[in-house]
Amino acid sequence: MALQSSTALARRPQSFTQNWSAYAFLTPALIILFLSLLLPAAATVVMSLTDISFLRPTNFVWFDNYIKLVSDSRFRQAVGNTAYYTVGVTLPTMALGLLAAVALNGKLRGRIVFRTIFYLPVLTSLIAAAVVWMYVYEPYSGPINGTLTQLGLPPQPWLQSPNLAMTSLIVMAIWRDFGTAMIIYLAGLQDIPKDIYEAARLDGAKTKDIFFRITVPMLSNVTFYLMIILIVQTFQVFGAIYVMTNGGPLGSTETIVFQMYQTAFGYTEFGYAAAMSTVLFLAILLFSIIGTKLMRRGES
Amino acid sequence: MAELQLQNVSKTYGTFEAVKDVSLAIEDGEFAVFVGPSGCGKSTLLRLIAGLDPVSAGTVAIGDKDMTARQAGERPVAMVFQSYALYPHMSVFENIAFPLQMEKRSKADIREQVAKAAATVQLTTRLQDKPNKLSGGQRQRVAIARAIVRKPEIFLMDEPLSNLDAALRMEMRSELTQLHKRLGSTMVYVTHDQLEAMTMADRIVVLNAGKVEQVGKPMDLYHRPANLFVAGFIGSPPMNFLSAKVVGLEGGNVLLEVPEVGRLALPGDASGFTVGGDATIGIRPEAITTTAPGEPALTLSIAPRTVERLGLHTIVYGEQGGRTLTALFNGDPAIAADAPLGVHVPLKQIHLFDAAGQARGHRD
Repeated sequence: MALQSSTALARRPQSFTQNWSAYAFLTPALIILFLSLLLPAAATVVMSLTDISFLRPTNFVWFDNYIKLVSDSRFRQAVGNTAYYTVGVTLPTMALGLLAAVALNGKLRGRIVFRTIFYLPVLTSLIAAAVVWMYVYEPYSGPINGTLTQLGLPPQPWLQSPNLAMTSLIVMAIWRDFGTAMIIYLAGLQDIPKDIYEAARLDGAKTKDIFFRITVPMLSNVTFYLMIILIVQTFQVFGAIYVMTNGGPLGSTETIVFQMYQTAFGYTEFGYAAAMSTVLFLAILLFSIIGTKLMRRGES
Repeated sequence: MAELQLQNVSKTYGTFEAVKDVSLAIEDGEFAVFVGPSGCGKSTLLRLIAGLDPVSAGTVAIGDKDMTARQAGERPVAMVFQSYALYPHMSVFENIAFPLQMEKRSKADIREQVAKAAATVQLTTRLQDKPNKLSGGQRQRVAIARAIVRKPEIFLMDEPLSNLDAALRMEMRSELTQLHKRLGSTMVYVTHDQLEAMTMADRIVVLNAGKVEQVGKPMDLYHRPANLFVAGFIGSPPMNFLSAKVVGLEGGNVLLEVPEVGRLALPGDASGFTVGGDATIGIRPEAITTTAPGEPALTLSIAPRTVERLGLHTIVYGEQGGRTLTALFNGDPAIAADAPLGVHVPLKQIHLFDAAGQARGHRD
């Protein structure tokens, strides 16, 4: 009983006067967060309810921008492109990251060198990497088409074909991101006790059983975490598209954020772009909540 | 069930020799305990038997089959780990069922075998729980059930009770002994706790620095330790050792000069000694009495410095001739710290070791 009372006391929030120094330490960070994040976010939501543009006086249009979004076939295409890019990048990145982590978690000779090589693309500048990949995909003098030609195969318009451009961007994103997945999976693998693998071996489990029945389920939390960060990251893809395809050809690489940029800064339709931004924010929030819930379930 | 044969087994890591030329036969149905201090090679030896590590030299045979080249999962053994090594994402049922699933048994068979194993370790009501919902003792039972269900010829247990509190350890000790009797299987149990070894083993294998120091029944090791290491390791509180000089060898007796004690003639194997050479005598704390025994005895005066009263026993740490002697008395005798205390040790209870630390006494 006494223990219960003391626990209850310990859990009761302490008053502002008791903790004024803690609040004082938090204040600068809160001010920066408010000015740089919360205020612009709130302003974006407000803007999404207006027809703000440099071209005319601003009026409140309430939910007109959102209604327009639903029937906007270009926006629907951008959503489809973004979803394709997200799935296309997230799943292979995680699979390759996991395989590389498992391979490099053992006593493989030269594993440190491989880990470094696989992680290097993460450290490169996105724009620099995009320029290099533009050369790699170059239809006439690029190394991929050069190799295809030497093998007697027809060269491909990697970034010029509406059928291939998005896949080409996805391949580059996987190259750039799977090092991150590998490092995070490596950390997760090193958290799995050696005894568990030994018990499984003694229980007669083969390499395949150990991977699917022990390693993969025990990495479920790491997988959910990675999935969240990759989804959030790929939902917001912009830089590579801006440099490599500018949304083309025929809008085949136009994603939500790219379209948002064009709508705001190309057509100066800030209200409509703000509505896109709010929808994207809500989608990211939804995935984050689902991912966090899955992680918590995994922990319990 | 089967017997286990180790023939000249060695294990080296780089230049470090963890297990040195161990040859050992563990009989069918025997409860053998490997005991020794940390780093003595007992867990390594168990891992070599399990096939978790390959031997550097020698052979491991179970029954009449050579297992040396076989992988861990291909040997007829099951192991219980100190950390339990349960699969945290699986329920108790799934943990116990795992080895059977690996053998591709039918679902009905798996259900039946898991139910039997769970009943044996009294876990029938917890089958749907995840390991993190169980107490330490229950987790260890799941690990034991997972071993039982494989119907191994040999059970290997690596310090399975080390993570439990003292009361639970005592309870599980008794449960494991009963389980061994019920299953009648060969068990090899590793511990650093000589109390566990003494209470559970049919035979104890004492290891030190990768070598077998002595193999024997618990009471043989207690009464007839082969050397100073075993004498000091088996028994709690540990044996007292007093350095001595050999001053004569006559008629099957070794005549010793023990500093601050005097001359002493002990029956012993004279071949291990030379006159003027070193010797050690060993006195168990419980061999020391306050009343003179009706037989030849060594009499000493000690100055008690610390008196620990445990109810059933009293342990006295006293000073004698510049060294500390430990004495253990039954009950709660009236002994005051710092007041000189006359004590006696029957001569036939004194252990005698030669300069190399080998036992040379003729004790019952």
